[in-house]
Amino acid sequence: MQKIDTFSANSLKELDKSFEDFKNKYIYNLSIYKKDERTLLGQKFHSLICFYIRGFDVSRLVLDLNKKEFTFWQKLEEKLKPIKSNFIKTEYSFLIKDEVNNIPYYLTGRFDGIFKDENGYIIYDWKTLNLPKNPYDNLQSVVYLYALNKIYKTNKIKMRYLSIEKLETLDVDFVSNEKYKEKIDKIILKLPWFNSSSSNDSGFQELNF
Amino acid sequence: MLINANSNTNRTEILQNKYLELLNLGVEAEKILVLVQNSKKKKEFVEKIKKKSENGFIGSLKIYSFWGLIREYILENWAIVENSLKDNNAKIIPYLSGLEISQYIFKKCIEEVDFTGYNSKTSLLHQLFRRNSLINLNNLSKEEINKRDEILQQTYSNEANQTINKYKAKTIDLRAFDYIRQINIFEFLYKKIENNFEYVFVDDADEITPCTLAYLDYIKPSVKEFFIAYDEFGSSRLGYLGAINVDFEKFLDEKAIKPFEDDLKTKNALNIFSSVKEDKKIDVENIKTKTFLKRNEMTNCVIEDIKSLINNGTKPSEIAIITPLADEFLKRELEKTGFNFNFISKSEKLNQNKLIGYLLELIKIIIDTNNKFVSPYILKGILIEILNVEKKEALLLVQEYKIGYEFSGINLFDLIKKKDSKKLKKFIDIYEKVRFEKVSTILFEIVSNFVVFKKEISKDIIKINQLLKQIGDFEDVFRDNFDRLDLIIQLENTIISENPVSDDEIDENSIVVSSAQKIIDYSYKTKYQFLLDVSSENWLRQDIGPLYNSWVMQKKWSKETFELEDNIELTKDKNARILYKLYLLGDEITLYSSAYDYLGAENFSGIDKYFEYKNELIEKKENLKPIVPRADQKEVLEYKGGLMSVSATAGSGKTTIMLLLVDKILSGEILNDIEPKNIFVLTFMESAARNFKERIKAKYPNLKELPNISTIHGLALRILKENNNFSRVGLDYDFEILDEVKRNSILNEIVYNLLGSTEKVDLYDGAISAYKNELALYGDFECKNKLFLSIYKAYDERLKSENLIDYDDLLLLSLKLLKENEDVLNYYNDLVKIIIEDEAQDSSAIQQNLILLLGRKYENIIRCGDINQAITSTFSNSDVEGFKDFMKKSKNVVMDRCQRCATGVLDCANETVYFAKEEKIDAFCDLIMKPVEGKNIVDSSAVENFVFEKENEENAFILNKVKQIIQEAEKSKKPVSIGVLLRSNFAIDKWSKIFEGAGIQTFKNSDSLINNPCYKISLLILEYIVNPYEIKLLKQIAKELYDIGFYDFDTLKYANSLNEPLFLRDDFDEQFWWDMNYFLFKNHYSIYDLAYEIGEFYFSKTFEKDNIHMVATIMTKVRNSQKTFEDCVLRLREIQFKNNFSNIKFFKNEEKNLKKTLINIMTLHKSKGGEFDYVFIPELTKDNLCLSVNDCKLKEKSTFIQKVKKNPKDDFELKKEIVEENFRLIYVGITRAIAKLFLSVSDNYKFFGKDKKYENSEIFEGVLCKK
Repeated sequence: MQKIDTFSANSLKELDKSFEDFKNKYIYNLSIYKKDERTLLGQKFHSLICFYIRGFDVSRLVLDLNKKEFTFWQKLEEKLKPIKSNFIKTEYSFLIKDEVNNIPYYLTGRFDGIFKDENGYIIYDWKTLNLPKNPYDNLQSVVYLYALNKIYKTNKIKMRYLSIEKLETLDVDFVSNEKYKEKIDKIILKLPWFNSSSSNDSGFQELNF
Repeated sequence: MLINANSNTNRTEILQNKYLELLNLGVEAEKILVLVQNSKKKKEFVEKIKKKSENGFIGSLKIYSFWGLIREYILENWAIVENSLKDNNAKIIPYLSGLEISQYIFKKCIEEVDFTGYNSKTSLLHQLFRRNSLINLNNLSKEEINKRDEILQQTYSNEANQTINKYKAKTIDLRAFDYIRQINIFEFLYKKIENNFEYVFVDDADEITPCTLAYLDYIKPSVKEFFIAYDEFGSSRLGYLGAINVDFEKFLDEKAIKPFEDDLKTKNALNIFSSVKEDKKIDVENIKTKTFLKRNEMTNCVIEDIKSLINNGTKPSEIAIITPLADEFLKRELEKTGFNFNFISKSEKLNQNKLIGYLLELIKIIIDTNNKFVSPYILKGILIEILNVEKKEALLLVQEYKIGYEFSGINLFDLIKKKDSKKLKKFIDIYEKVRFEKVSTILFEIVSNFVVFKKEISKDIIKINQLLKQIGDFEDVFRDNFDRLDLIIQLENTIISENPVSDDEIDENSIVVSSAQKIIDYSYKTKYQFLLDVSSENWLRQDIGPLYNSWVMQKKWSKETFELEDNIELTKDKNARILYKLYLLGDEITLYSSAYDYLGAENFSGIDKYFEYKNELIEKKENLKPIVPRADQKEVLEYKGGLMSVSATAGSGKTTIMLLLVDKILSGEILNDIEPKNIFVLTFMESAARNFKERIKAKYPNLKELPNISTIHGLALRILKENNNFSRVGLDYDFEILDEVKRNSILNEIVYNLLGSTEKVDLYDGAISAYKNELALYGDFECKNKLFLSIYKAYDERLKSENLIDYDDLLLLSLKLLKENEDVLNYYNDLVKIIIEDEAQDSSAIQQNLILLLGRKYENIIRCGDINQAITSTFSNSDVEGFKDFMKKSKNVVMDRCQRCATGVLDCANETVYFAKEEKIDAFCDLIMKPVEGKNIVDSSAVENFVFEKENEENAFILNKVKQIIQEAEKSKKPVSIGVLLRSNFAIDKWSKIFEGAGIQTFKNSDSLINNPCYKISLLILEYIVNPYEIKLLKQIAKELYDIGFYDFDTLKYANSLNEPLFLRDDFDEQFWWDMNYFLFKNHYSIYDLAYEIGEFYFSKTFEKDNIHMVATIMTKVRNSQKTFEDCVLRLREIQFKNNFSNIKFFKNEEKNLKKTLINIMTLHKSKGGEFDYVFIPELTKDNLCLSVNDCKLKEKSTFIQKVKKNPKDDFELKKEIVEENFRLIYVGITRAIAKLFLSVSDNYKFFGKDKKYENSEIFEGVLCKK
């Protein structure tokens, strides 16, 4: 039995929602995946923005966009142009180590972009889907802000969701590491092997999953 | 830092600690590049870093596998590539696709290039793939490629290069790059980007590929420090897997540290390495060897060994089974034990998975708008397995569809729509919704709606996701430019070579089953390593073909030629590395080998040759009577070397004496410095070779290395396969030998196309073989019969284009190979220290050339035969004159004592010789058989002859006589053997019906498929599954299984009482009901699984167990060649009388100790070598056995063959030859009898239902009346 100890914002979301779903998806791999148009569009824009921020000539790459997508891009480029040089990282992956009940766990993820100016750091996240409804409770905000704080060890950080299609933005300010950790730990503790009382080998079977 | 240490050390831990030290010093993780061999090792490295790190931010890790680095690099920097292109196909993200997409592109490119005359079109795709892969892996320039093509004299290199260039252009157009193509992009890119890595770690650097090494070399000046761990004796992936052997000390200009030189394990491993390299036998304490004759015996032993380990507390994960042949058979045999097994290197086609197989079939039905007929078997499977329809309901629907289609071409969906079933309605809704959608959408919807997701099918779900990804990639890359059905067919044929498809499949509490390479690649350490099939050539097979050579195409190749010696040395070097690395990963190693492979063919050229097999010539004394040779036999045993011919009459105990001779040779009494591998024994029949081997093995159970005992064709095949010799005669590595079934269908097709009828196929069949031999003997000759020539040429071309060779080619090509390649000839001349041939009178001129050539260095050649028993010259190319010549120039020993036959029978045989002499027919040499005092039955009236008026009188007489013999045998409780010897195969059927009609069971000594019980029963059950309404079939199945003792009389009675289909009944108390319903509703997608399960169920406790895999393999091969399951079953019935399929050789039970009286029915030809207490030879008409030249009627087949010969015989000579052979044929028949011989004939036989008069053979007047 695979005792998962490494989590992304998405897997935490799944675990938060239902342990059963988490188990089926991440332990037994009982879900099927099919690329949809939205995901493909998201991937394309993530790469395009990344190349643009890194200073590559993207005039040929945009030939891959259809008319509608190209219109989005033109507007987005306008918005990014003045701030482009403030990005210190794009597509930056992280690995954070933490623990609960003296049992280590790890958080992973990838920042779409990290912006820096005199006010501090902003995690940019490009969204092809709708912006989150409760951004402060959104586990992506929680995990990303918690991670960035661990990386730069500062509270002057925020998370900014940017809708590619509508160019709307939604900012989430840093709250507190303790609050974040508490939330993350609470979810992780749903897993029997993080419960010190049942962290032995038989823990999983005892709970009769 | 440079560490030279093997994988058994903690060198990786040293690297990990160094990595952490750097992180602790504040170096950012993104500045440190870590390269490891594969994704498993990457995962392990990352996990270790995670565990050892402090809490907090560990970093943005840049840890990659060798291939992963390339992939990441391209994705990260793709804009640079795109900006260098000029077309309108720009992509923001390139498709870093799988091999199935490049395969599809390659296929299209091959169609555009003319490879006229290219040998082996079936493997052209594979050839080009390998060539392209080697060129890219080794980064070869145009000049380097040309140079190599020159060295290898590769005739089709221009076409190959043209195709590869087209392929490359196409991948750019589509922006679709597989991992090999990605190398080119990577090489283009890294030279354009400034290096950001300050520190570089490489583990397993001895397995590094040239492109990764070139990259490291390129960034070297900007890297602060390298940390490289390698093993100078590693590089197990040398050759076609693309590793390169690097001098890292030179690369870094730094001395390597060797921290772990002194441990015993390393010392032993090094001993293995050097032993292999220096041709010394490996002799290490913790390696055990176990040898067997059959693979089944080997597998059983492995299973028992595993059971005993696990019962004694060994954990499954402490055991690894290592074999290059993790095939279906092994898989099922292992799984039967109930332990968990993890097959980590088995290549499998997607549709080998039952769920995926049926899903793809369902999609095919949905998108095939032409309303084609749907296979009922598949439809049943889909209804039950995917749509969850109740079994009985499904079968009724299938039957309704079958009938509806036959009568009115009913549409399946129209039929389903009419059904009042929730499940079917749901299916119709989905069908309407998705039928015009993309394949990926159809699959997604079906799986989401009909597949119940549960833990038990998690492995299937992984495969479905893999399939969805493949389909999605396909749809992305080709958009609408492909047919949906084409895509499915392409996918069905795609092999997942990397299994597991993800790490998620690896279950830790299981016994791993893997190839050696995967065990090494994954550094899979276990306490016990079981190395299976070590005698199989598959352990060592190197990948070399007409368009590539994995050695010469290596970057480092500098020689101007490629010789056999190079191949041997390089293969040895690679094996030394593999065995060395393997040894380091196991504590206790057991080698298992078998003389025969899984299809009954002989194993050769395995890795067993590297190990010390302590051959113990300890005789198993019990049950063996000491043999005291007779005076005429003694001379054979006094052989001291040189040429010797042995003329041995029938029943002279030749086999026993040859066995004793081999004994003496083995013991070193005759020749010095001889090992089993230097002894070659050639038999005429496969069964004789097997028998010989079994007798040696039974006598010396501890003899681990057997002498080479095979037919001449077996030896020829070995010569062609060994050391990649096939490439010297223009063959591709996967060439196959044309079997009777395929030969027949090819010839039927060719003859039909030219003549509009297949009537004369047999005529041309024999002539082709004769002509091939003539061409080999007289190269300058061309047959004048134009029609034959065009048939011959079409046949020859067809074989070449399908990478096939026939039995004649087998001998001709090996002879050609030896004659044209001095190095190959020398190799075999050194090896063949003595050669013993049996049945030498039947050898063809080509076979004799081959034997003499092989044995020319030591000239220890013994040829045994009996000219008086030469009975194959008129229908084969046998050349008795060659044996006569050999007799003249060799020491000739005569064994003229026959201890088999009763004195009366001996007299009869000798009379036949005298009669021929009187008639001036030169059929025999002057070898008169003499009895052995005290051995033969003394009975001057042992031969009886009868002439009847009517056929049924003869039949009744023989039947009664047989009944009488059986009754007497039963009374005296002494079973006897009875032989009914016939002139033709057709007569076998007639006589078996006569006996079986009287309730007497017969044994037909024929190699035909249907004669194999496992084939017979499996086919009947398949027929039943296809026709569940056929009650007759059920009765037949029950009868057959009753006859072999599986079902009791009550079951037979139950089956005979049936009057409606079984599946409509509820006879829960009847075993037969359960069994038949089980197979009917098992719905295996793979016919292998079905056949295997039938075989296992009925034959696992019988001798036939050894043939189950062969039957399942035959059925799979036929299934692959037929469109539907139903067509396959029909074809299996069509080929039932064929003798040979795919050269699969069934094991036959030739138990000599009779348990009950057996009636053997066979042709006179087939009876050679056999003996029976009672022999009947009926139907001795002049038509069947003409002994007078004047009365001999020539058949068209005999005269036609002469037309293709350089020196054709005229009709008189031909008649003479036929009559001579008829004499010898009856002589063979007579000498089979131990106690009694009955010769008979009738004046009239039925001909198309009416009595027709036939003359009696001259044997009655010339021999029998005199007596």
